[in-house]
Amino acid sequence: MTVLLEVEGLAKNFGGLQVASDISMTLKAGDRCALIGPNGAGKTTFVNLVTGVIPPSAGTIRLDGRDVTKLPSAERVRLGLIRSFQVARLFKSMTVREHLELAVLQRDRRTFRLFANVAKVAGLADEVAELLGTMGLTHVAHTAVGSLAYGQQRLLEIALALAMKPKVLILDEPAAGVPHSESQRILDAIDRLPKDLAVLMIEHDMDLVFRFARTIVVLAQGRLLCSGTAKEIVADPRVREVYLGSRTNAH
Amino acid sequence: MTSVAERDGKAGTMTRPIPLGKRRDLDWIGIPLIAAVGLAAYWLLPDDLALLTRIAASALFVLSLDLVLGYGGIATLGQAAMFGTGAYAAGIVAVNWNNDPFAMLAVGGLAGGLLALVTGALILHARGLTLLMLTIAVGQIVQEVANKARDWTGGSDGLSGIDPAPVLGMFRFDMFGHTSYLFALAVLVVGLVVARRIVRSPFGLACRGVKEDPLRVSAIGGSPKAYLVVLYAVAGVFAGVAGALTAVTSGIVGLDSAGFSWSAEALVMLVLGGTGRLYGAVIGTAAFMGVHHILAANDPYHWMAFIGLFLIGIVLFLPGGIVSVAERLGGLRRGKEGGA
Repeated sequence: MTVLLEVEGLAKNFGGLQVASDISMTLKAGDRCALIGPNGAGKTTFVNLVTGVIPPSAGTIRLDGRDVTKLPSAERVRLGLIRSFQVARLFKSMTVREHLELAVLQRDRRTFRLFANVAKVAGLADEVAELLGTMGLTHVAHTAVGSLAYGQQRLLEIALALAMKPKVLILDEPAAGVPHSESQRILDAIDRLPKDLAVLMIEHDMDLVFRFARTIVVLAQGRLLCSGTAKEIVADPRVREVYLGSRTNAH
Repeated sequence: MTSVAERDGKAGTMTRPIPLGKRRDLDWIGIPLIAAVGLAAYWLLPDDLALLTRIAASALFVLSLDLVLGYGGIATLGQAAMFGTGAYAAGIVAVNWNNDPFAMLAVGGLAGGLLALVTGALILHARGLTLLMLTIAVGQIVQEVANKARDWTGGSDGLSGIDPAPVLGMFRFDMFGHTSYLFALAVLVVGLVVARRIVRSPFGLACRGVKEDPLRVSAIGGSPKAYLVVLYAVAGVFAGVAGALTAVTSGIVGLDSAGFSWSAEALVMLVLGGTGRLYGAVIGTAAFMGVHHILAANDPYHWMAFIGLFLIGIVLFLPGGIVSVAERLGGLRRGKEGGA
């Protein structure tokens, strides 16, 4: 399978504080990978480095074979590196449908059409309808996002990311703030993502991680601790140590 | 999914979807209604045509402010810079070269648009108070340039002697202001149609996104500043045309047409009518200037105080502006305007 995301020796320090050091990983088309680690392990820093929110101190990031280390984040988005946000970050007064219309128009660079009618842009309505269907949001299409249930806002976050036809999709705690009983809905939606997409999920909830991921990468103190299949990770004593440190020591 | 949908549906009326077609039909009434009321005023108030003409031209100016503020969230107290530039450009062209009213509007729109494009590209990286200060500065500069260039603008005496040719070579600008008013009303209606088209375009949608959360727009690959600069330039064209329209219908251009208080007054009129709705600009202008006219005639000493009370009342009891009343009555909801 094609390698879509290739991170090599990525590091970041703020002055003397090393928040990420020598992280390397690859994502191939079709990968379903979870990035886990205890609080403060540097997961969010890693996402910000990869998406271009903060510049790395060292290392390279390649997207579909192209070096994007120096590109601004909007440019990486255009090349297909898309993230969803941990806290749903949406346009409160706009409807669900308008969000998806904007994302699709933006992707196709048709947003500088001043005199076109959004309702009549060729192919737009069909594509938006399909996205709404995939994420189960059709019945709330005309609802302003500000009055949407939180779980639905999370689904819209994923739909927005999907609308941009990503090659690599980074889901930052997609189920954060959603009641445990409803997290399955989010997972169902993630299951319906295109198979050739590389998906990296940052998640705390181990239950969710094991249901989603085929491979797992563990970060601890800004370093890559280990990576492997779910089974290997569960069996790895180092993982037990960083997560259950004190207890293992006590025994 | 269905179970969630049903529960949310019951949880609050907020999630109840509104039929799209219905909302559109109601929305479409706006422009024909404004045109009809404008024509009715022409028959009913033949003695106030000068005032009505000023209202129509000013409404177009306030509309330009609604584009930047209501649809782009750009805080500005310098919109009159574009109005004044358009008015002077049209006036100078009319006095020296070409006094066709449509040519004057085109020159005014071009001048206002260019000024907005250039200054917008320079200042729109700023937000909030900083931006507010910069827009005021641009207005002051334009006013000072107009003041110093006496040979062209007449300086503090104003630019006079603008004598526009008959509209389409047929309708002379008569001394009773019939042609002026109908011309101004027609330009305003066309302006509304064009503005409505723009706010419903993909570009308008993107601008609303920028207004709410510029960073989120970059996260989907857009450039917030590019949208704002283009929006500012488009609104500059509207303001420039409004300035030119004032030059055509009044025959004079003064320094106050680019002044700070004209920018501020436009903001008051917009807030009064309601931002982000287009029609609010027209209704707010008519209400402000109408009340101003009636009060000033009846009580020349205290009318300012009444205007103040009127404004405080509106802001306290109708935070969405006058249009929000019409929307409530018409079953429209806030936050739906210009959408879908």
